[in-house]
Amino acid sequence: MELTKEQKIKLYTNIVRVRKLDEYLVKAYYDGKLAGPFFHSQQGQEAIGVGVCTFLRQDDYVWYTHRGHGVCEVISKGLPAKKLISEHLGKVTGSCHGIGFINTCSPELGIFGMGGTVAGESTLAAGVALAAKQRGKKQVVCAFFGDGAFGEGSLHSAMLMSANWKLPVIWLCSNNGMGMWVPVKASYPRENIADMAYGYNIPAAIVDGQDVIAVYEAAQVAIDRARSGKGPSFIEFKTCRYRAQVEGIPDYCQEGLRSKQEVNRWKKRDPLVIFKKRLMKEGVLDQADFERIDKETSLEVEQAEKYAMESPLPGPEILEKALYAD
Amino acid sequence: MRTISYRQAINEALTEEMERDDAVFILGEDVCQDQWQTHSGLVEKFGKERVRDTAISENAIIGAAVGAALAGYRPIADIMFADFLFCAADETLNQAATHRFSNGGITRVPMVIKTAMGGYSSGGPMHSQCPEAFLWHRPGLKIVLPSTPYDAKGLLKTAIRDNNPVVYLFHKMLLESTGEVPENEYTIPLGLADVKKTGSDVTVIATAYMVKIVMDVVKQLESRNISTEVIDLRSLEPLDIDTIITSVKKTGRVVIVDEDLARCGVTGEIGLQILEKAFKYLASPIRRVAAKNIPIPAGCLEKEVLPKAQDIADAIGLVLGLKENLIVKDTKLTPGFKVV
Repeated sequence: MELTKEQKIKLYTNIVRVRKLDEYLVKAYYDGKLAGPFFHSQQGQEAIGVGVCTFLRQDDYVWYTHRGHGVCEVISKGLPAKKLISEHLGKVTGSCHGIGFINTCSPELGIFGMGGTVAGESTLAAGVALAAKQRGKKQVVCAFFGDGAFGEGSLHSAMLMSANWKLPVIWLCSNNGMGMWVPVKASYPRENIADMAYGYNIPAAIVDGQDVIAVYEAAQVAIDRARSGKGPSFIEFKTCRYRAQVEGIPDYCQEGLRSKQEVNRWKKRDPLVIFKKRLMKEGVLDQADFERIDKETSLEVEQAEKYAMESPLPGPEILEKALYAD
Repeated sequence: MRTISYRQAINEALTEEMERDDAVFILGEDVCQDQWQTHSGLVEKFGKERVRDTAISENAIIGAAVGAALAGYRPIADIMFADFLFCAADETLNQAATHRFSNGGITRVPMVIKTAMGGYSSGGPMHSQCPEAFLWHRPGLKIVLPSTPYDAKGLLKTAIRDNNPVVYLFHKMLLESTGEVPENEYTIPLGLADVKKTGSDVTVIATAYMVKIVMDVVKQLESRNISTEVIDLRSLEPLDIDTIITSVKKTGRVVIVDEDLARCGVTGEIGLQILEKAFKYLASPIRRVAAKNIPIPAGCLEKEVLPKAQDIADAIGLVLGLKENLIVKDTKLTPGFKVV
């Protein structure tokens, strides 16, 4: 299905938005503004979350990961930037009232946060997909995880359940080549993680994670399968994270620092740059449009930060209230 | 009033709640058959979509229940033995217990983890454990441990309707036990202890199968003119501390009995809460009876590790300052762990 001009502009704008939000959160970390002790930048991987989530239905579900703290996924799904920044700054106006930090929770957008254990939400994603199937409203579940999560048993239990019950879930693996500081090839016996999905009878594809159109098109095939009751799919996106596993710690790769040349090779295929060139070539946007989008998205981040900075911190009364529901 | 078994009481609670609310469904390993026979007639009545057999994946059973609960259902995650809960520690402790909290209280996780616990059937270290101390350590869960058919039914119905994750620990050795259960609909609120017997000399606090052993001991001590008050907590979270303190103020002597381990256990926690709230009313040091701090062996040595009637009688004698020993007969075991 060919994207309209407006849809392409929306994809491009979302990539710019999430790149700027990620850059803001990196800076906020070093400025000591964050409520928690870490930020895991997603720069370089934006096309994946944006390409999958931008055109989902509001009642579809999204499970994101610690990479970028879900910026690409939740912003593309419709969460206002001010909710995300407020949460990162620990303010009561954040999506989890300032006690979730890396969590973004918005049940009305089908987003139920992210805990802290790698692949910890994969079985929850299967459960939400089971609920979606029982309800019969053709909702789908997009479950994002990184290559590093593939070592967790819970992910395999969840994939098995989804295959067995033909659940409407899409398993979306961002393979950036490194599970924390360990290269993928040191952890898995196969080069392609997608190969291992076939064992569960889940159809799988390997997709260029830098090309937002390729991401969108592959995701659509899987989403259509899920909506029509044909069960789960698995997509492996080949990608690269530009920055370290976590800010403040050097970019180690097993026994030493990761080579700059390797990262620079990937930067030549930056998702923002290659999509910009394509849109220019197709005549969808011109230089003036790019400048306007740049200005608008910068303003959005500035206003979101202002809102967060002016918001109050949560009071201790929330602690008891948050623990048990009435 | 009619008399039914603990097993049938569980079955009635499940049947009634599944009839009442379409959002309730069961998932787990072998739930259609159910080796404890608490699911008789459920598949025939509600079909395999609401009584869902899964692969042997405790983490997927509990994790999927959390997900389905978030998405508007009221799942019952069935774990065959409580010992197997540890396979799903992340899903139980990090996800189910903490999900609402770590999202600022804007989600709710209405689900039940139903599991069989307890020893006295020579099942060995991984088929005999009581996990209540592990679970109670984690804020966010509610914990229910019924000791009678009446409680088994009323508490399970409440647990299913609760908007939080409730761990429902039924005891294998009680499955065959019988008791009066009304035909009419009833529920029992969580956090309300049941004073099984009033007395003035000593307060004995217990849960689940321990209540049965305590009642047996107390009956044997009646001829010795010892007036015992017995409190069945019925749930640990919420804990009915008020009923405990009221009783302690009256008797001044306390024995706490729990089948789980003594170390870092329920007995120590309740004991200290009593010290904090009612120290000046105590006439003698608190005594506890719990499992010894070693794994539960299979075979004839199991009884050396788990609490027994004589241990409880000894503790009562000690808090009363009696010179002579109170000799009691061992509780006759009912064949609860029967694989049919």
